[in-house]
Amino acid sequence: MTAMQWFFSYLRNYRKQLIFAMVLVTFTCVCAIVNPQISGIIVDDVIKGGNREALPRLIVILIISTLIRSIVKYCFLLIFEKSSQGLLYTMRDYVYRRIMRQDFNFYNNNRTGDLMSRQTGDMNAIRHFVAYTMHAIYENALLFIFALVMIFVVDYRLALCMIAVMPISVYITIKQLKAVKPAFHNIRERFSSLNTFVQENVSGNRVVKAFAKEDYEISKFKKENDAYRDSELQAAQIWKKYVPVFDFLASSLTVILYLVGGIMVIKGSMTMGKLVMVSGYIWMLNMPLRQAGWLANDYQRFVTSIEKIYATISVEPEIKNPEDGIVKKSFKGDVEFSNVSYKISGEEILKDINFRVKAGQTVGIIGATGSGKTTLMNLLCRFYDVTSGQVKLDGIDVRNIDLYNLRENIGMAMQDVFLFSDTIEGNIAFGRPDCSIDKVIEVAKVANAHDFILDMPQGYDTIVGERGVGLSGGQKQRISLARALLKEPSIIILDDTTSAVDMETEASIQEELRMVDGKHTVFVIAHRISSIMDADLILVIEDGRIIESGNHQDLLEEKGYYHRVFYHQYGDFDQISKNGGNSIG
Amino acid sequence: MARNKYDVDESLETEFNLSHLKRLAGYIKPYGKEMFIIILIMTVSSALGMLTPVILKDILDVYIPNEDIRGIVLIGVGLLVINFIIALTTRIKISATTKLGQDIIHTIRSDIFNHLQKLPFSYYDDKPHGKIQVRVVNYVNALSDLLSNGIVNTITDLFSLFFIVAFMLYLNVRLSIICLLGLPLLMILIFIIKKKQRVAWQLQSNKSSNLNACIAESINGVRVTQSFTREEESIEIFNNLSMEYSESWLKAVKLNFFLWPAINNISIWTTAAVYVVGIAWLDKGLAGITVGVLAGMSGYIGRFWAPINTLAGFYNSLLTAISYLERIFETIDEPVLVKDKEDAYDMGAIEGQVEFKDVSFSYEEGVPILNKVNFKANPGDTIAIVGPTGAGKTTIINLISRFYNLDSGQITIDGIDITDVKIASLRSQMGVMLQDSFIFSGTIMDNIRYGNMTASDEDVIRAAKTVRAHEFIINLENGYDTEVNERGSRLSVGQRQLISFARALLADPKILILDEATSSIDTETEILLQEGLKKLLVNRTSFIIAHRLSTIKNSTKILYIDEGEIKEMGSHDELIDKKGLYHDLYLSQYQFLEKDKIS
Repeated sequence: MTAMQWFFSYLRNYRKQLIFAMVLVTFTCVCAIVNPQISGIIVDDVIKGGNREALPRLIVILIISTLIRSIVKYCFLLIFEKSSQGLLYTMRDYVYRRIMRQDFNFYNNNRTGDLMSRQTGDMNAIRHFVAYTMHAIYENALLFIFALVMIFVVDYRLALCMIAVMPISVYITIKQLKAVKPAFHNIRERFSSLNTFVQENVSGNRVVKAFAKEDYEISKFKKENDAYRDSELQAAQIWKKYVPVFDFLASSLTVILYLVGGIMVIKGSMTMGKLVMVSGYIWMLNMPLRQAGWLANDYQRFVTSIEKIYATISVEPEIKNPEDGIVKKSFKGDVEFSNVSYKISGEEILKDINFRVKAGQTVGIIGATGSGKTTLMNLLCRFYDVTSGQVKLDGIDVRNIDLYNLRENIGMAMQDVFLFSDTIEGNIAFGRPDCSIDKVIEVAKVANAHDFILDMPQGYDTIVGERGVGLSGGQKQRISLARALLKEPSIIILDDTTSAVDMETEASIQEELRMVDGKHTVFVIAHRISSIMDADLILVIEDGRIIESGNHQDLLEEKGYYHRVFYHQYGDFDQISKNGGNSIG
Repeated sequence: MARNKYDVDESLETEFNLSHLKRLAGYIKPYGKEMFIIILIMTVSSALGMLTPVILKDILDVYIPNEDIRGIVLIGVGLLVINFIIALTTRIKISATTKLGQDIIHTIRSDIFNHLQKLPFSYYDDKPHGKIQVRVVNYVNALSDLLSNGIVNTITDLFSLFFIVAFMLYLNVRLSIICLLGLPLLMILIFIIKKKQRVAWQLQSNKSSNLNACIAESINGVRVTQSFTREEESIEIFNNLSMEYSESWLKAVKLNFFLWPAINNISIWTTAAVYVVGIAWLDKGLAGITVGVLAGMSGYIGRFWAPINTLAGFYNSLLTAISYLERIFETIDEPVLVKDKEDAYDMGAIEGQVEFKDVSFSYEEGVPILNKVNFKANPGDTIAIVGPTGAGKTTIINLISRFYNLDSGQITIDGIDITDVKIASLRSQMGVMLQDSFIFSGTIMDNIRYGNMTASDEDVIRAAKTVRAHEFIINLENGYDTEVNERGSRLSVGQRQLISFARALLADPKILILDEATSSIDTETEILLQEGLKKLLVNRTSFIIAHRLSTIKNSTKILYIDEGEIKEMGSHDELIDKKGLYHDLYLSQYQFLEKDKIS
């Protein structure tokens, strides 16, 4: 499917409205031809000719036809606007759905600002086309054809003269369409880029201020701002060559008419009356010609935007929901990784991962920064798919499980906490929007968040800023933990969830978690030994491989990585217990 | 103002008044000369355009009856030349008006963006980022048509209107007055719908802002949405906003569309009135009314209403634009709370002595965050700040960079009150690593270099080596030239922290502030990192917030903060001996060990 075919698949849904509206357009076009005629009759017949009796009737026709014409025009304008809004609504919905269902790689490769531009600026170009450009093209074409037909009826020779400009204008239109396309494409690119820049500047405002880089940002912004302006000016430089040509052609048409017509009248091959009549239709040829350049611009702007949108949505997500995926009400939570490897752009992130967890067990994962811990969990949730090997849940390859069913059964508190600009309650209840406040409070207590939430000005109704600004790192993490717990999933993944939480709070969170444990399989990624030492299985990951695995005791005895880390964190325990050991416990 | 959500309309706190238009005029003023020239050219061109029908009339009335072919050809050629000139002026007009409009928009956009750079964190914290962004990008763009073609066409049309009225008055005063009577009628109508239009467009701009905010958040939070399989709910929320947007748009254009038929009908009524009255007067033999005058009048009435139509269009887009303009100006007028004093001076190179004297601070009145905090850090000291989450640790370090103004008390650096110096000169001497490490889209090299734009590649690599980021960076596809994404989604959180750490170091600051800089970094890397840091920290004062106590044990001074006060202060050993809060906190990390009897 091409971008245009895609667009027409939407437009088709409005064909009834649009056809009806086009009929109305046709009607107003006819009216537009009638009105000047009546004015002409009044001047010629009534005023000049002295036929006074006709006046009242003509005036009534004039007023009524204008009234009807304006009502009809109002109606069709609204129909076009309504259809365009309806079309846009469904299109936005589809684009949004596509984007929401994209995999993580898509988001790694597309900037937020660009994706936003597709849904705002580009959509607006489509609105303009459906609401205005489409019927403007039709209206102008109609007028032009009407005029030609009527001139034909009056005098075919004059009509042929008029048609002579047609090939020229078609040629110029095609040339213009070709010439402006790259320019408009460039405008959309620059717009997108400007949007992205501003979006990042706003999101990163803290860093900008911390480094006192306001001036740098301003100078960078100036470049974006300049580039956008220049792209608009460049486009104008191109189309300014074409639009006046249409103007010239349009006005020359009149001159040609009078020249040729005048000579024909003098030569006696045409009557004066016919010339006057044709000159009455000439505006119907002029106007469409004058509009042609502008409409060509509008059309090409639209094409650029629809192509941009289509290119964005036609990226197929690599992670797909399997057809006839297995759906289970709940999974027990047995997890198995067998010979799992994951590669991206040639880089091996995970290699030969093998381990097995029984339902209800806790797995601790520790390892160097960037060693692949989070990726391991992302494979389980199918945010990425394995390159080789298998990830199994309850013995079923996760790729055979219905994607949404799979994810519904996994509660994940991510390393990079994202909260929505919503109330704290809304954020915690994100996975279950309809759950009761009691349930929210219950999980907030488990996550040790209840107390600080109550301390906030509006408690659970406090609105937190986007990304949870206004909360400390530890507070955000605890809300994110509560959010994951509320789902009551069979698998809980805590990815570095307590790294910004102080030691005491962490201890009490773990205490609480232990109470709800047993029902869930839990994965804990952490750097603090205290977070994982109680796990049934601890995996040490290095460079994408499991280098050590076992429980706390096993790993200490192995005297490898885990032991080293333990030693670093607790090496001075002896000394402390000597000094103040009495207070332990 | 209360914090705003994406699905809540923002209240407008400034009432609309003429001053918005005056301000807009202020933006146009510098282009007065260009504007004057364009309008002059356009006026000449429209005057030429008006000549054409007169000349054509001559062909019909004079040349054809006289069978003057030579004359017709001559006039035809003359007209073609005139048309050619008109086409040229159109070309000039396109260039000039686009330039004019884009330049003005460029200026407005710079103003709003530059002002945003001065606004405090709280401004960004209080509203969804998509709503700030929409003002800089989409709202400003919405003005482009008005500012380029709109103004020039309107002024040109005003001129042609003036000519037409002059012609009409010249033909017949009384008939002209009948025709002009339509205007007050139109005014009344405009007055009636104006208020509704204003409200409708304000609503529309709000809805578009909401939609934008929702899109931005949906994209940024998509990972959470997917992992919670909340796509359907998100889609529903989005569709609601999208529907509200559509409805508000339709409501607003419905009112705008109203103007056109109104003008059309009024114009026909006045035309009819001119015919009826004119013919009556003609038959009565009133002085000055002849068949020719009436016929001429009928031609001009049509021409009279055409520019009024464009003027009405301009008026419509002005009303639309104002709903965006007031938002833009609202942002530009947002007060800058933290700013340089008038006599602020450049700080000069500092030693790094930091002192808090009775510092009290609150984000919201009546909710104190810090209460009379006192401490002193000497150059080269490492100050660790510990305490429960939400105790005010981050606030303390934010105050050193003067991200907020104090309620009372004083912060001095090398004995100088930080409010006396230029903010940029203060902040540029600090390397701050924030809790939330933000990565700009660009290469890793660019991201680290953000700390110091003049640093060479070697400097960047050295900084990366110090924080132990070098190894993972060179293992990436394109090493330092690897393109990373906004929020660094290709990188793990720990890697992002290392990069922003390197960024902070590269600034070669006298004061280094690390807010949970290493929370997501593994212990081994952290130890290596600290070894590397040790040398670097010799002459620098550093403030460290961390929860892993191994990170902070060796600090010169540890501040235990709770409830906005310093509860304990001293070195690790001193505080352990004191057996107070820090002692308990320190031991809490061993409580599991006790249970397992491991040591």
